[in-house]
Amino acid sequence: MIKKIFTMMALGLLLASPTLAAKASTYPDALAKTGKNPIVIFIYGANYDKVSERTYDAFIKKNKIAPYVRQCTFLEMPLYQMPSDREKKDMEKRLGNKKLPHGIRCYPCLAVVDSKGNLRGAVQSPEEMKAPEVALVALKKLVDNFYAQEKLIEKAKKAKGEKKAAFLLAASDIDLNMPSGVVGKDERKALDDASGLGNRLAFDPLTVVEALQTKDYASANSYVRTMMAEGGYSKLQRQMIMAAYAGHLRRGGEGRTPASKERLRALYTEMRNIDPDSTYGAYAEGALVIWVEGGKLTDDPIPTEINRVGNTSDDGNSSGSSGKTAMGSTSIPAADDDEPASPDSDAPSDADFEGDDF
Amino acid sequence: MTVRLIKLLTASFLFFCLGVALFPVFFPTKVEKKVTTIHSGSSIVRDTQVDDWSHDDETVDDGDATWEEEPEDTQPDRRVVRQDDERFDEEDVPLDAKQNVVPKARVQAQFVSALGEMRRLAVTLEKQEAENFTNDEFKAADWADPEKIYFTLADRVISKLGKLDDATVLSFLQKPENRLDLARVTLIRKAGSQGIRSVATRPKGKEMLAALTSDLNWMSNLLHSGPTKNMEQALSYLETIYGKVGEEELKVPATRRIATTTALEFAREGWSEHDMFNRFTYYNDSWKEGKLNAHFDKLQYWETRFVTGCKQPSDGAGNWGSPRNLAWHRDNVRLPMEQYLGAEGQLEYRLRNVAGDSVFSAEYLAPIWKHVNFTTGWAYREIGGVCGALSHYATFSALAAGLPASTMGEPGHCAYAMRIGNEWRRGNSIYWQHSLHKTFWGEPEWGYLHLTQKLYEERFKTLAADQLVSLADFLTARRKMKAAFSSYEIAVKTQPNNWPALKRYAAYLKLKAPDDKDKWMTLHDTVMDGMGKEHYHAAATMQARYVYPNLAPLVKDRAKLNKMYSGLFAHFKDWGANRWDIAPILDAQIATCQTDDEKKSYLREVLRVLMKRPDYSGAVLTWGLGYISQLPEGDGKIQEEFTNMLVQAMSRTGSSSKQLDETWATLGEAIHAAAKNKERRTFQAIGRLAYNKCKKKFNKKGPRVKGFSGRVVSATAWIDTATTIGDMSNCCLHWGVLQRFGGFMPGKFEGKAGLTVGLEKKCDLVGVVCISQEKKLKNDRPFYLEVSDDGQNWYRVRPNGVINGGEIRFNLKGSGAAGKFVRMLREGDKYEPGITGFYVYGKPQKN
Repeated sequence: MIKKIFTMMALGLLLASPTLAAKASTYPDALAKTGKNPIVIFIYGANYDKVSERTYDAFIKKNKIAPYVRQCTFLEMPLYQMPSDREKKDMEKRLGNKKLPHGIRCYPCLAVVDSKGNLRGAVQSPEEMKAPEVALVALKKLVDNFYAQEKLIEKAKKAKGEKKAAFLLAASDIDLNMPSGVVGKDERKALDDASGLGNRLAFDPLTVVEALQTKDYASANSYVRTMMAEGGYSKLQRQMIMAAYAGHLRRGGEGRTPASKERLRALYTEMRNIDPDSTYGAYAEGALVIWVEGGKLTDDPIPTEINRVGNTSDDGNSSGSSGKTAMGSTSIPAADDDEPASPDSDAPSDADFEGDDF
Repeated sequence: MTVRLIKLLTASFLFFCLGVALFPVFFPTKVEKKVTTIHSGSSIVRDTQVDDWSHDDETVDDGDATWEEEPEDTQPDRRVVRQDDERFDEEDVPLDAKQNVVPKARVQAQFVSALGEMRRLAVTLEKQEAENFTNDEFKAADWADPEKIYFTLADRVISKLGKLDDATVLSFLQKPENRLDLARVTLIRKAGSQGIRSVATRPKGKEMLAALTSDLNWMSNLLHSGPTKNMEQALSYLETIYGKVGEEELKVPATRRIATTTALEFAREGWSEHDMFNRFTYYNDSWKEGKLNAHFDKLQYWETRFVTGCKQPSDGAGNWGSPRNLAWHRDNVRLPMEQYLGAEGQLEYRLRNVAGDSVFSAEYLAPIWKHVNFTTGWAYREIGGVCGALSHYATFSALAAGLPASTMGEPGHCAYAMRIGNEWRRGNSIYWQHSLHKTFWGEPEWGYLHLTQKLYEERFKTLAADQLVSLADFLTARRKMKAAFSSYEIAVKTQPNNWPALKRYAAYLKLKAPDDKDKWMTLHDTVMDGMGKEHYHAAATMQARYVYPNLAPLVKDRAKLNKMYSGLFAHFKDWGANRWDIAPILDAQIATCQTDDEKKSYLREVLRVLMKRPDYSGAVLTWGLGYISQLPEGDGKIQEEFTNMLVQAMSRTGSSSKQLDETWATLGEAIHAAAKNKERRTFQAIGRLAYNKCKKKFNKKGPRVKGFSGRVVSATAWIDTATTIGDMSNCCLHWGVLQRFGGFMPGKFEGKAGLTVGLEKKCDLVGVVCISQEKKLKNDRPFYLEVSDDGQNWYRVRPNGVINGGEIRFNLKGSGAAGKFVRMLREGDKYEPGITGFYVYGKPQKN
């Protein structure tokens, strides 16, 4: 059933794509010819990895990827371990004087790269790479994001003032670096101030921790709430600010009594609700269990028999994702869609705790 | 009549003969059984055997053995003595007078023929490995009685060894059936017969033992791929695997290698059977599923042990070697071999998490465990960590893929070693001192890893030597001392990098011929000519630990001994594979000096030689200064004489432009040691010497300082920082920090160490100025000052430091602050910039 769905989706992709993928033989060639379209690079271990060999057979030899990424430039990139002279020559030929983008943690993978060689995302987790149909779904998201990012860049180029600032903020939300020339040197500061991007770029979570260290609870609350109200911080950063604040209250110290469980519940709930799917959403969820409920995070039963070691999924791969699967595959928010998420209406607010532990 | 008489006599004789022949069948007696009693330390270990009197001709009763009749109704204790690396237990066998002698030390020429034979043996081993010899003489049921097998084989081996000279011993090893017999004997001795019996009582024990001991390659790999501690346990673990996966699967070479190495390593480490089987399953399944790096297929047994024996095997949060963590790394950090070196770059460096919890606290990862399914590597990838997490992440990513790697400690830091191809390389390393967390011989320094690699790279040469050591061990047990000595000597000559073989031989020499100066000298030379060619640290340690203590008392000529000691370092070209600590070697050498005069002559000689060696000169000065600081208080005179010798040695360092860097580095290392030893006068002497010899290295002009009233009392002090300094070549600039022209030293002020100055005398303090390397210091945390009279008990003085641009000023006027030691501290654990000047103002107190 699942296979059918994937096949249908793949077919959908095929029909929706107007032009054929251009295959490139070398990386410089791909960079030169791709224009405004993404480059999809299948990077794999060519002489040391049976998983790569199997993936190559399933994805490339059976032609299960390239036909479905039309418009993109498609490139195969073998990696060699302890390469022989012949293999070195092959690598040199394929790479020219370029280097593969940084940020890939695992091969085989499908990397999405722009014409400047910037990595825009990668399908690399074992779950996603286990079958071409599954990888294609993740890849489609990345390709869609790529085009949305390109639109964002185009809009940002044309926009001015607050609108431009909003586009920059939206780009930052998805870790997209604006190409040079989009923001002039003279307008950078004004745009950062208008968008709050300045706050975001200067953010250092440990500075928040240090700043809170010497503050009593009332001052800490005021400090954090002022920060949050200033805007400009990404969801992740807002969760980090909350983590620092909650950590400060949880530990107490220097004459301060640790905050009540109710207060911690409110803070961790607020932190989680900013983005429950993120790592720090999960952190907050865990904190609620262990530091508010006084419970334990329970482990799954430990498998001991043959073929059941490790935390293996159906195909034997261990799970390695946390919410987001494809790197950079989070959907792009609309430029004006980035208002701070409000906590659950039923979660208590700071006001509910006035006088508590302060 | 005569004929009848003859017939009658013949019939009577035949009847008599028949009667004699059948008598024992119908009327068994105790006559045929004799019991040998083996004295082994305090325990008595016994064995029964049918005495065939065949040794009568050569038996010489040495009086130690006790012969007694075995009571028919008791089951004797029939253990075969377990072999211990440090012991040489002998069995109660008749002593052969010809063999009960220590052979004379041989000169090199006398080894030529034997070494030629050993080379041929190595070739034979390589050839025969491909053919693999098997022999199922001992069936599963036979393993219920390991003593019977042992003594059957022992007699056979001895009889095949014939005259027990070099020729018969070495030709014995040429034949695979003989080597298999020897391996079986060795296995029983290593596990002990009780151990073998215990394994045999397990459900598949006898079958496993029969399968194992019928296969020469398997036996060789089990016995000669590294340490064999707890062999009985290792066999039990093999039985577990054998019982669960079956004989057929264990015939697959990779599975057999994984099983054997996992069993050996888990037994050696004392880890549980449950974890052992999970580890085996992880690697075996990963291999079968084609998920390991292809390089794993090429690994030999010894190197596989680095992989399957990786630490922290239990499941659970925080364990890097748990099956689930390995599986996660295997699937989520799949890289070509070279890229594992540096894989720590996938993690953020964080001392505290974003909630402010320290990486060393339980709270650091606590809320995230469920999210990451209690997977250690995944947890750190999400949250970040410090050097420990980063180095473990890279190491276990490689290990999970089946590639040899190990974490290692460095002073205040965690790094790792990873093998790329056949070369061990360092990752995340910042110092030269490494202490590997996975070692074969309990020697954690880098040089031994290098030695291990080189030893096993010469696989068949090493295997030939190992076979001969096994035979020598067996011969010691059978009281064939002469042949045992020869076998050990040929073995260590064949493979002079064989650390365990050299240790074993030295132990035997100490036991049997402790006063044989020629033999100790030969061993000394063997180490120098062999291991000493490339593996300097191991060679020096072998001499210091096992040779000098025995050889030195036998050398009466002190000058000759001193020459031998200094000659050790003269023999080495440089540091070898990595810098190493020469202090234990020098300590061992000076420990053989009985009188102060001997010590002085020794010191003079080593300084003469080592001060000419740029690599070693700083280290010998450091050692000398440390040695002096540890002398008892009453040794003032020798302390002074030693100090003078060291200062003179330093003053002889070259100051030409060609030698400038070497001198600078030497003095830097020495001044660092002086500061660590709180040796003010030496610190100052070296500082001044460095200034005179290497003026170019110092600033011409110092920082502009607006001082306080009073003298700069710190100019004659020592100064030390809490930072671990990896490269000490610029440490003379620390002295400059106290002088008006300034210098440089790394800043580190957190905790209770900070930056400490030891003044010449106790002073009334007026003020302190510290000049930072940065022109604008961050004013986020206060600097404060503590003073002490003894360097132990500190008190804080007020006010705190005032930051003014790049200056930190403490105005202590009217504070009443006084002390001999001053230190500057700061809360927090952030990066701190270095300092270029540190000036304490005050007035020395009168006594």
